[in-house]
Amino acid sequence: MKQRRYFFKENLKIALAELWANKMRSLLTATGIVIGIIAVTLMSTLIAGVDGLFEKSMAFLGKDVVYIEKWPWGGGEEWWTIRNRPEIDMDLADKIADWSDYALSVAKERGRGADLSYKEMKSEGIFVNGVTANYLDVSTVEVEYGRWFTEPEDRTYSQVILLGYEVAKALFPNEDPLGKEVHMGGQRYLVIGILAQMGKFMGLQNMDTRVVIPFNTFEKNFHSRWGMRRIAVKVPADHVDEAIEDLRGTMRILRQLKPNEPDNFAVNQQQAFEQQYAMIKYSIGGVGLVITALSLLVGGIGIANIMFVSVKERTREIGVRKALGAKKRHIKGQFLIEAVVITGVAGIVGLLIAAGLSWLIDEYIFPASMSFFVAFMAIFLSVFVGVLAGWTPARQAANLDPIESLRYE
Amino acid sequence: MSDTNTKTAQQASSGTESEMLILVKDLYKIYELGHTEVRALDGVSLTIQKNEYVSIMGPSGSGKSTLMNLIGCLDTPSKGEYFLDGINVAHMSDDELAAVRNRKIGFVFQTFNLLPKSTSLRNVELPLIYNGGIPADARRSLAEEALSRVGLESRMLHKPNELSGGQRQRVAVARALVNNPAIILADEPTGNLDSKTGEEIMHLFDELHEAGNTIILVTHEEHIAHHANRTIRLLDGKIHTDVRNGDRLEG
Repeated sequence: MKQRRYFFKENLKIALAELWANKMRSLLTATGIVIGIIAVTLMSTLIAGVDGLFEKSMAFLGKDVVYIEKWPWGGGEEWWTIRNRPEIDMDLADKIADWSDYALSVAKERGRGADLSYKEMKSEGIFVNGVTANYLDVSTVEVEYGRWFTEPEDRTYSQVILLGYEVAKALFPNEDPLGKEVHMGGQRYLVIGILAQMGKFMGLQNMDTRVVIPFNTFEKNFHSRWGMRRIAVKVPADHVDEAIEDLRGTMRILRQLKPNEPDNFAVNQQQAFEQQYAMIKYSIGGVGLVITALSLLVGGIGIANIMFVSVKERTREIGVRKALGAKKRHIKGQFLIEAVVITGVAGIVGLLIAAGLSWLIDEYIFPASMSFFVAFMAIFLSVFVGVLAGWTPARQAANLDPIESLRYE
Repeated sequence: MSDTNTKTAQQASSGTESEMLILVKDLYKIYELGHTEVRALDGVSLTIQKNEYVSIMGPSGSGKSTLMNLIGCLDTPSKGEYFLDGINVAHMSDDELAAVRNRKIGFVFQTFNLLPKSTSLRNVELPLIYNGGIPADARRSLAEEALSRVGLESRMLHKPNELSGGQRQRVAVARALVNNPAIILADEPTGNLDSKTGEEIMHLFDELHEAGNTIILVTHEEHIAHHANRTIRLLDGKIHTDVRNGDRLEG
């Protein structure tokens, strides 16, 4: 053990001296590995970033909430068949609540875009959600400040509104919004609460730039049939699959579908997203990783090539070392360590560059943060490539005949 | 087996009290070239005592290089026995031979064979590195000592390309000495030097011999061979003559 450490140290010294003596060559060879490691680590970091984003977004939906909608989340069916489906009649919600044993709570939800103003302050392209009072059961929405509206307020078409975190900030930079009146679509609404900050859904749809009003108020004030409409059903968390089947059956009865007719509605649940997402992730991520791993392989071939050249060039040195008592493992170790030093240093450099890049990406484009695992994997991978690339040249060097090598010109 | 051989060797060296260092018995090195068989060494037996100064001579093709490679443990014989300092090395593996070379043999080559990118000190340290486990500072002081012995105190941190041919060969001699080997094996040590520098190097060998080292010279030059006090001439893979030199040249 002590002997091994001793020779490791000596071989490390030799390797560093040799690489330093051939600076240009070492640099060029290492570049291939640097690029490979950057590609692999960035790819893994981005996949992890998308993953984290997805997890967070899925939390918005809730595992135990099923959505009855016109459009399925997973896709799959033909666009025009779905387009021709009837819109979801919101009155079905009450029947579902009556008929289905699995429906713990049934909320109605509609939505569309609108502009908001308070005095001279304006907020455009805001998403207006019209929901029933029991929406809190099926959503992760929380009231940060103020209060939620009541069921009687909904029934009586009250002109009350809850502002999303960013809407409140934009319209009331210096004032307390509670009790103020905002304008939207020619109507006045009394601000009764501010929603807690939520972030973006899938990194795109900002959940903090919306406002919430009672469902009936929405139906009264916005007449168009367009926009988002869905029925959100809270089901027992440990019977989600049965609940989905039950709701589907209930809907088919309510829609009076014959047994041979396909569903003309969709029962959506978080799982559909997850399946869809997993497919995309594994195909894009898998292909991406294979391609980036190829770049690392190319780098490794470069290292192997330069090690073969190095062994050839230093045949005489190998002969001298052997004549003076170097054993096979000493020579093998010397060249292996040289290869690993190149790839190891290149790996660290690549990792540092990739860390910098992922910080930039995180800051400006997309959530991405390099995990400890990815960093560890990058170092392990570069050392592994070094061993792989150095193995055959090192063995060739170790097996050289000392007499032949000493004569080599 | 080993005992009988030792006895034979002692009988062969009758009259001297000295210790036997090399015992070669019926050594053959046979190469198969297609259907023909080339006998590079064809049954060589010889003994060399401690502190002998032997030159091995012979025309090219006589087998002197082959004998040197075998004595230097760089090669293994096809047949026969070779005891070096009491150890039978004829049938050892490559790595075992490497260890024997490291501890028992100091090589001096015609072309010096120094590592071009390393300093004199580092070159001389090399055999100590493969000796294993000698700490760096001990290695350094041993190498410094060896370089002082060959008169290169002031050239320790020079690289080979900053040294003259004679100085390079002195570094090589220091490297051969540093592990305190049983024999110093010099292959045409003056072959790449001018005659004056060559004489200086031979003088160095003479001094090392007087200090108690055992030296084997392989050469084809008579005046170099005459530094030794015994000359073995090879011809066609066999020992042709083996004589003690009465008229040893003094440097």
